[in-house]
Amino acid sequence: MNSPIDNIIIEPLREVIRKLVAFLPSLLTGLVVFAAGLLLAWLIKLLVIRILKLFKLDAAFSRTGVTEALQKMTVKDTPAKLIGRTFYWLVTVIFFILALKVMKVPVIDKLLESLLLFLPNIFVALIIVTLGWLLGNFLGRAALIASVNSGVKIAGQISRAVKGLVLVFAFVMAFEQVGIGRHTLVAAFAIAFGGAVLALALAFGLGGKDLARTFLEKRFKKDGEDAKPDDLKHI
Amino acid sequence: MAQDPSVAVASGPTVFADLDEVDILIGIPSYNNAKTIGHVVRAVEAGLTKYFPGRRSVLVNSDGGSTDGTTDVVREASADLDSIMLENRVGGFRKLVTPYHGVPGKGSAFRTVFEIARQLKAKACAVVDSDLRSITPEWIELLVKPVLEEGYDYVSPCYMRHKYDGTITNSIVYPLTRSLYGKRIRQPIGGDFGFSGGLASFYLEKDVWDSDVARFGIDIWMTTTALANGFKICQAFLGAKIHDAKDPGADLSAMLHQVVGSVFDLMEEYAAVWQAVKGSEPVETYGFIYSVGLEPINVNVDRMIEMFRLGVKDLGPFYRTFLPPDILSFLADLARADRKDFAYADAAWVRTVLSFALASHRKAVRREHIIKSLTPLYLGMIASFVIETWDSAAGAVERRLEDLCLAFEREKSYLVERWNP
Repeated sequence: MNSPIDNIIIEPLREVIRKLVAFLPSLLTGLVVFAAGLLLAWLIKLLVIRILKLFKLDAAFSRTGVTEALQKMTVKDTPAKLIGRTFYWLVTVIFFILALKVMKVPVIDKLLESLLLFLPNIFVALIIVTLGWLLGNFLGRAALIASVNSGVKIAGQISRAVKGLVLVFAFVMAFEQVGIGRHTLVAAFAIAFGGAVLALALAFGLGGKDLARTFLEKRFKKDGEDAKPDDLKHI
Repeated sequence: MAQDPSVAVASGPTVFADLDEVDILIGIPSYNNAKTIGHVVRAVEAGLTKYFPGRRSVLVNSDGGSTDGTTDVVREASADLDSIMLENRVGGFRKLVTPYHGVPGKGSAFRTVFEIARQLKAKACAVVDSDLRSITPEWIELLVKPVLEEGYDYVSPCYMRHKYDGTITNSIVYPLTRSLYGKRIRQPIGGDFGFSGGLASFYLEKDVWDSDVARFGIDIWMTTTALANGFKICQAFLGAKIHDAKDPGADLSAMLHQVVGSVFDLMEEYAAVWQAVKGSEPVETYGFIYSVGLEPINVNVDRMIEMFRLGVKDLGPFYRTFLPPDILSFLADLARADRKDFAYADAAWVRTVLSFALASHRKAVRREHIIKSLTPLYLGMIASFVIETWDSAAGAVERRLEDLCLAFEREKSYLVERWNP
């Protein structure tokens, strides 16, 4: 008959060791898979960077304002390197998941299954945010130049508003894609946007038309608008 | 009423059945110019009759689908030869009214003119705008004769203009084109040109007829193509150019984008040509040159300076992506200057324009954004120019422009060194 110490400590310990020994091949396989993944990720990163440089992607990104925006966010990498790094982490994560799968832990299996089903949504959401950010930059700059050339004094604010609006739209779409506050977010956005417009209309139209007039004259009126027009012929 | 046998109406670029060759062809592009085109047609007819008797000539009206009766005016317009003391037409004068096809624009209209010139084996051609109010028969002589009798391939116009007319031409297009291609063509985008039949055929061979050239860039394209391909070029002094305002509401930045964008495009195409050119030389100029007093005009300098300041403030971060530090620092200082000290130095203006050309070449940012962002700086330059020359006579202003041109020529190495780093 086993002693209480055997029952309480030794037997469970043996069981743990037995399970660990049984798990060891899976663990080793998992580690090997992960190490191979790291190596592959590194190779893919190099390959992606080389291909992107070959197609002069950095120049193209510079053209669309991406490089400028990255620099503003203190990202020192070039866009090509950044994309290469993204691929590195993507492959690393995939192999990490694979490694966990190889280890056959039921709880992790379930978690992974849910995560894998959710991944495409995250990917699409990221694409939406990236495109929104690019479009926001482009439209913001176009609005800035057009406003400055029209002599609008609040050109900077208009540009930031355009950029911000596009980004907000992109984030709303992205959140909807990943299912966060699917209905609440859209409704909140519509209410907030509509409310803001209505409030402005009321404030400027009814509540303070004199103030609104003064404000609009100060903010929007082009300089020298009262003066005689130019007779200059530019061409 | 019997139809005038000298007028042909074509639905396409077809020619007269009984005419397979002409000596002179005059093209008039049009689109809803019923009010002014009659005068242009009469001036052309009188010019051809008076100065080229005995020559077979044809007037081609290349129309973009006018709905105001422009083509009817062309058909019916006829010069009163008695008033210019001419009794008969010795040679033949015909009119051809034809619609043009392709991208809507002056370039497409010219293409049709070139095609008809090639079909009719025209020896000398000229194109004149349909909105001209100051055209005289002498314009036809001056645009055609150098080609027909002196062997020139291209005749560029010279006009008597107010000192503040054509400020884009004066501050950018003329000095830049002159420094690039080495010929002093004073009005490279004048709009009224003479050219040989050979050059018309050369133009036709170029694959540009679906591009911006067909829409709005035809004037600078014709001049630059003739310059860069070694055609024999001269100028003709035509006197005053008075024409209907193009579009009073036209946006300045869009105008700059079209004109400066066309010059920058051509710099790409002819990089090998202009990189080899140093300095510049005058070209032969025909016509009796004269000048008149200056009429006062309204120029709102304060508004231009304010636009410049706004641009430097709000577009500063954008300029930092492609303008060199010395120019950025100069712009910041100038934006702080009072009106009396407001002076955009020639060297700085040249570097500014060349930096825009380089940024456009490198496609560092979207090209349209680059060129349109030149607008406030251009207004700053014009404000500075107006302040400096307000009391100057036309001759002094022309000498001032000559200084600017020389600055462009001096700084050309800056452009060449950076074009292919």
